[in-house]
Amino acid sequence: MTTVLFYILGFIMLAATLLCITRRNPVHAVIYLVAGFFALAMMFYLLGAPLVAAWQIIVYAGAIMVLFLFIIMMLGLAPQETQEGPGWQRWGPLVLLSASLMVCTVLLIMQDPAAGKEIGAFYLAPQAVGEALFGRYVLAVEMVSFQLLFATIGAYMLGRPLSKGEEQ
Amino acid sequence: MVPFGHALSFAAALFVLGLTCVLLRRQVIMILIGVEIMLNAASLVFVSASAYWQQADGQVFVILLMAITAAEVAVALAMVVYLWRRKRTLVADEFNGMSG
Amino acid sequence: MSETLLFLIPLLPLCCAVSNMLFGMRLPRLFAEIMAVTGVAGAFLLTILFWDYAEGEGTRAVLFTWLSSGAVDVSFAMNFDRLAAPMTLMVTGVATLIHLYAVGYMHEDGDYARFFGLLNLFVFAMLAIILADNLLLLFLGWEGVGLCSYGLIGFWYHTLENARAGTKAFLVTRVGDVFLAIALLWLFAVTGTLSISEINAQAVSISPGVVISLSLLLLLGACGKSAQLPLMTWLADAMAGPTPVSALIHAATMVTAGVYLLCRLFPLVSLSAVGMTVITAIGALTALYAATCAMAQREIKRVLAYSTMSQVGYMFMAVGAGTVTGAMFHLLTHAFFKAVLFMAAGCVIHLAGDENDIYKMGGMARRGPVELFWVFLAGAVCLAGLPLTGGFFSKDGILLALFTHPDPAYRVFWLVGVLTALLTAFYTFRLVYLVFAGEWRGTGHPHAIPLQMRWPLWPLALLGLAGGMLNLPDFVGGDEMLHHWYGDLAGRAVTASHSTEWMLIGLAVAIVALGWFAAHWRYRNYRPPVENRVSRFLLNGWQADSLVDRLFVRPFTAMARFCFSGCDRSLFDGTLEGLAKMATRYGALLVQLATGRATTYLSAFAWGFLVLLGWFLLKLVNGGGH
Repeated sequence: MTTVLFYILGFIMLAATLLCITRRNPVHAVIYLVAGFFALAMMFYLLGAPLVAAWQIIVYAGAIMVLFLFIIMMLGLAPQETQEGPGWQRWGPLVLLSASLMVCTVLLIMQDPAAGKEIGAFYLAPQAVGEALFGRYVLAVEMVSFQLLFATIGAYMLGRPLSKGEEQ
Repeated sequence: MVPFGHALSFAAALFVLGLTCVLLRRQVIMILIGVEIMLNAASLVFVSASAYWQQADGQVFVILLMAITAAEVAVALAMVVYLWRRKRTLVADEFNGMSG
Repeated sequence: MSETLLFLIPLLPLCCAVSNMLFGMRLPRLFAEIMAVTGVAGAFLLTILFWDYAEGEGTRAVLFTWLSSGAVDVSFAMNFDRLAAPMTLMVTGVATLIHLYAVGYMHEDGDYARFFGLLNLFVFAMLAIILADNLLLLFLGWEGVGLCSYGLIGFWYHTLENARAGTKAFLVTRVGDVFLAIALLWLFAVTGTLSISEINAQAVSISPGVVISLSLLLLLGACGKSAQLPLMTWLADAMAGPTPVSALIHAATMVTAGVYLLCRLFPLVSLSAVGMTVITAIGALTALYAATCAMAQREIKRVLAYSTMSQVGYMFMAVGAGTVTGAMFHLLTHAFFKAVLFMAAGCVIHLAGDENDIYKMGGMARRGPVELFWVFLAGAVCLAGLPLTGGFFSKDGILLALFTHPDPAYRVFWLVGVLTALLTAFYTFRLVYLVFAGEWRGTGHPHAIPLQMRWPLWPLALLGLAGGMLNLPDFVGGDEMLHHWYGDLAGRAVTASHSTEWMLIGLAVAIVALGWFAAHWRYRNYRPPVENRVSRFLLNGWQADSLVDRLFVRPFTAMARFCFSGCDRSLFDGTLEGLAKMATRYGALLVQLATGRATTYLSAFAWGFLVLLGWFLLKLVNGGGH
């Protein structure tokens, strides 16, 4: 049952992402991506990571994508359609590239002996995640918090309104 | 459950889709979205590996990855706002000041 | 007195030259002029003082060793012997008078330091040629006179033509110098020494073929400096220089350097009959050629230049006939009367308002100071060979030597000499009549003639007229002073029966009279010049300049153009430029990769990633499969 569900969710995720990358309207693209993230979160849950699944939705779909939407709305990019450049001459080689990459990667993955083995049943409670996070990986947590601080400062600096003297 | 290879293949497909988005779209916002997709593919790999080897490390990494991504998106979008203010367009090809 | 004091003779003009060149413009003008004249006059007095040193075997003096390495041992050595002494005396004496003349002639020119410096330097170089006992020292003087001649001919170099004339003189004589240099090196290879006295002593031991070649090479070197065929094109154009320069260099000294060289190396040159015949032939041909050209010239100095060429041809004929005495005798008398002719011509040009063309002169006898006509006439009759003048005896001596030569072929040369004498008389009196007789035809404004330009003319005119006394032949009662002075350096002794000599004298008199009558009949009353093809051909020196141009200058220019445009520009520069352009083009192609657009770089990432994956796959397949 979970197997079938996994595959279905996988395909939903891929379909949603495919739709996302082919939309002209950026808001539509973001919405489709959010749908894709939902599917991904459920796949995480099926793989025994409920905490990660929850945070996927809260952080990714809830914060990051919302931030995208904010910027898109603020800059007024939607529903303005982006002009398309040359047609299939542009995305033809790219699709070819992507397909080739896909094929190569899958072939490489299939070479590994571990690829055939099944993922066993697994469930990690949030408590165990917390113990690992603040036990072994507490240094990484501290560093990431630094990075968040840098990002805040950087985002503020970049986002400052340009005064007359700075405009170049 | 599913074979490990299949989970990795899904992640690969997602990654390739994200790469396609990066290469295909001309607007900076869409490129950033493509980056997000690729990062999520990486998260999927970590989580499935964590389930395969029955360890918590993969999931911890995914959490850290999310935090980093958040920081990165903040700065990137701030930059997008800056670029918009400079040139009033977000087509990536317009920003070729370092050509030649 | 020590014999190294002999070196003061050439060194005194050298010191005055150097001082004039270094400080001349800072000294007051009179000072520089006095220094210049003193340099040469001092050398003249020293020559008289040291005259005794030249008697007998002469005196050899060495100043210092110049080069000494291995087999080469060259020193600054001079040989003041019986051949050198009269020549030195003549050169310094005539040079002193000409320096005085030049002081007057150039008194309006502001560049006096350069002029007198070069003039003195020239005298030094000429004395180096005359007195050298070492071929390398002679060559130094040889080149020195060439250099000073270039500097003096092109003295007024602001006019391009004068500079060109100087360059032409230098280049043509340089061609002769190359042959002389080859002869020098060959002599050194054969005899192992460059000392003239030793070479003359060893001359008999050199193989005949080598002797012929050496004689011909020396002859060509002499032809360059003496303006004989085939290296004669420079002398007529050299008249672009100031008149004192023409008088000194192209009458008395430099053009006679070739003759002197042949006389100096006479023991070597006289060994080959073929060589002597060639020398005589060249002299004869040049004499005839120059006399024909002189008949058609319009400028007064060019007439005198061609006449110099012709008379030097006589001197060459004398050397070829074997009589050094004859050659040197004519050299000395020619120096006197040609110098006075040039200097008087300078006065005439001044009087005519700087006009050179004789067809625009006339009536000068009345216009100028009274002695000018008489002095010019004195020089002219010497040139024409009027009996009892110095020129008559010297020319007659040469003709006698040609007539009495054991080789009957020399009669032909004698005939050429007689014909040339006829032409000489003709063009000389043509010159005199056109310049001095009749009415003034010109339009110029006369310049006054300073005193220094007038009184040096007298001594030279008198010397020219009385010069016959130097070597009066004994059938007229003379004692052949010069011949006895030279002793065994004199070459072949010319003896002939008295009847032959009187016949030749009669012939000479007849020729002069004939020439005079012809000129009188044609030019006494003025007639405008005839312009036909013959006269133009002669005026341009038998088109020698265009011949040289076609034979040598044009192929050389074509070759130079090929090397420059064809090779240097097209090939080398083209290759380099082509390489540079190719590099730029490929660089431009490569630059297109650096678009500055993020999308381009991202695509590059993706494609590179594909390549990497593909490679890993291949490795895996190869490693695992086969």
